[in-house]
Amino acid sequence: MTDRGRDIPAPPARWKRLVGEDGIQKWVFYIPVVFFILFFAAPMALTVVWSVFERTQFWMEPGFTLFAYENFFTSARAENYVLSMLHAAAAVVISFVIGFPIAVFIRRRVTRAAQHRVILLFILPFMISELVRVFAMRPVLGRNGVVNSVLMELGILSEPITVILYSPLGVIIGDVMSFLPFMIFAGFLALEAVQNYIFEVCDDLGTGRVRLFADIVLPLAAPGIFAGSVFIFVNSMGVALVPTLLGGPGAVNAGLIANQAIVALDFPLAMAISTIMIFTLVLLLYIGHRLFDLTKILEPIS
Amino acid sequence: MYDDFANPWTIRLKWAYLLAVVFALLMPVFYTIGISFNLHGFGARIYEFTFDWYRVVLGDTLLVISLKWTLYLAVATIAATIPMALLSAKFYKRTRRKVAFVALMLSPLFVPADIMGSSLLVFFKNLAKGFAWLGQSLGVGWFDSWFDLGFLTAVIGQIIYTHPYAFIVILITMSRYRVQQTEAARACGANAWQAFWHVEFPQIRVGVFSSCAFVTILSFNEAVRTALLKGGFDTFSNMLVAQMLNIGMSGESYAMAGIMSIVSMIVIGTVIVYTLVRAERLERRARAMAEPVMSG
Repeated sequence: MTDRGRDIPAPPARWKRLVGEDGIQKWVFYIPVVFFILFFAAPMALTVVWSVFERTQFWMEPGFTLFAYENFFTSARAENYVLSMLHAAAAVVISFVIGFPIAVFIRRRVTRAAQHRVILLFILPFMISELVRVFAMRPVLGRNGVVNSVLMELGILSEPITVILYSPLGVIIGDVMSFLPFMIFAGFLALEAVQNYIFEVCDDLGTGRVRLFADIVLPLAAPGIFAGSVFIFVNSMGVALVPTLLGGPGAVNAGLIANQAIVALDFPLAMAISTIMIFTLVLLLYIGHRLFDLTKILEPIS
Repeated sequence: MYDDFANPWTIRLKWAYLLAVVFALLMPVFYTIGISFNLHGFGARIYEFTFDWYRVVLGDTLLVISLKWTLYLAVATIAATIPMALLSAKFYKRTRRKVAFVALMLSPLFVPADIMGSSLLVFFKNLAKGFAWLGQSLGVGWFDSWFDLGFLTAVIGQIIYTHPYAFIVILITMSRYRVQQTEAARACGANAWQAFWHVEFPQIRVGVFSSCAFVTILSFNEAVRTALLKGGFDTFSNMLVAQMLNIGMSGESYAMAGIMSIVSMIVIGTVIVYTLVRAERLERRARAMAEPVMSG
């Protein structure tokens, strides 16, 4: 077949069209979306449905009852949930106070080329198992641990302090040690939104540190700080490992309450707790998005 | 940004604070490793270096089997997560609904392990019952064990956990890649795969390998989701949790924690050193190219 003396290529075979860029190849990119809808979004959404099912001896059956919620709100679990929210909020505040100045320092005082290398210093502790890091706090915070030994050796203490392990304070310390690097990463990423010339202008105008922080850095870096805070808050509330290993008897958080319900084969209750937790998370993210526009966090990688 | 007028002592003080925080984060782990090499264990006045606790751990058949399962799980998770993370990053570049897509991909980061594990556990149990019912209705038996708790469900749980990290690392690496290079390759006659494999992949290779390392560590360290979804086998971290809760802080527990920490440090340390060396090499090359050529 010719056209003005030139060969026109024959149309590709049917199977080639099928696997071509407008065929299967195009749909391959949807695999992660389908996978995450099926195995992440669907289970999370169905949690709400399962939470109103009726409990049977070993499982649950379809129905509609709010017994699991009633069970949650009328028992000590609700009080423990609120208490774990307070502990989580304390962990967020402490992480911010310790971690955010480090993010600001790296961003402002370290040369551009070296900034990512300094951040790598915090990747190492973050990548060591959380289980090991929490477990490792026991010999450090314990009665005969490093903290007590050093403080007694220096003469600051006459006898060991026991309030830092197997107590609510132990849980908060564990949460801070577990999630502090994330505040530094989120803070550093957030400060990418603050251009250097802004600091230079403020320096030229002689702006004080407090004013620079409160009026310039904080509003501009707010989306990243908020995302980091939500991450720490939610994980402090939901990771059962920390109260299990550092909290001592009676210490619980939302994750541990859900776990205990699973062990007791009370699946609707576990799902009700998960629903309340997911609702808390969604509410926080919604408020954060309305206040700070969380999409700004993605600007550096867009 | 460097401030030439800043007080050098203030800067030094800030560096000291930064390093003190790094030290505080790492000290408990190194202390635990130190105890794991002490014959007399935690709290003893005498320190006698030994590998005995490690010999006990590696001589325990159940623990070795759990290590093998951990390895299989890590390999399966990497094999599934990395291609998916690559596809996700590519999809992110081309989709218009970026916010919704990223929200879906990164949401697992914000759902605590116990909550996600519980939801997936109930989901898979229901799914398994649904498939069994389907098999019964159709009169066939091969739907029976689909999504029963086991290796597959544990891998799915780990993919959901590790994918956001791999996705972010690959996306950051990809953000430096210029799409015009792909367009040029396509204009020269390369098909989509050739353009990706020969032009794009060599430039994002570091990110892909780094995310492989991250996924390995995350999979190796993961305990909670796997404990809920694994069914009949045990992983190394699950054995450590059981050991800690049932036996307490024994020499064996310290050695197991030591193995987990040392493996993580070796893998992530290699990535960090490689990244630093590579950055240094690229910087040197850039400096050499920027220098004016001296005429003779």
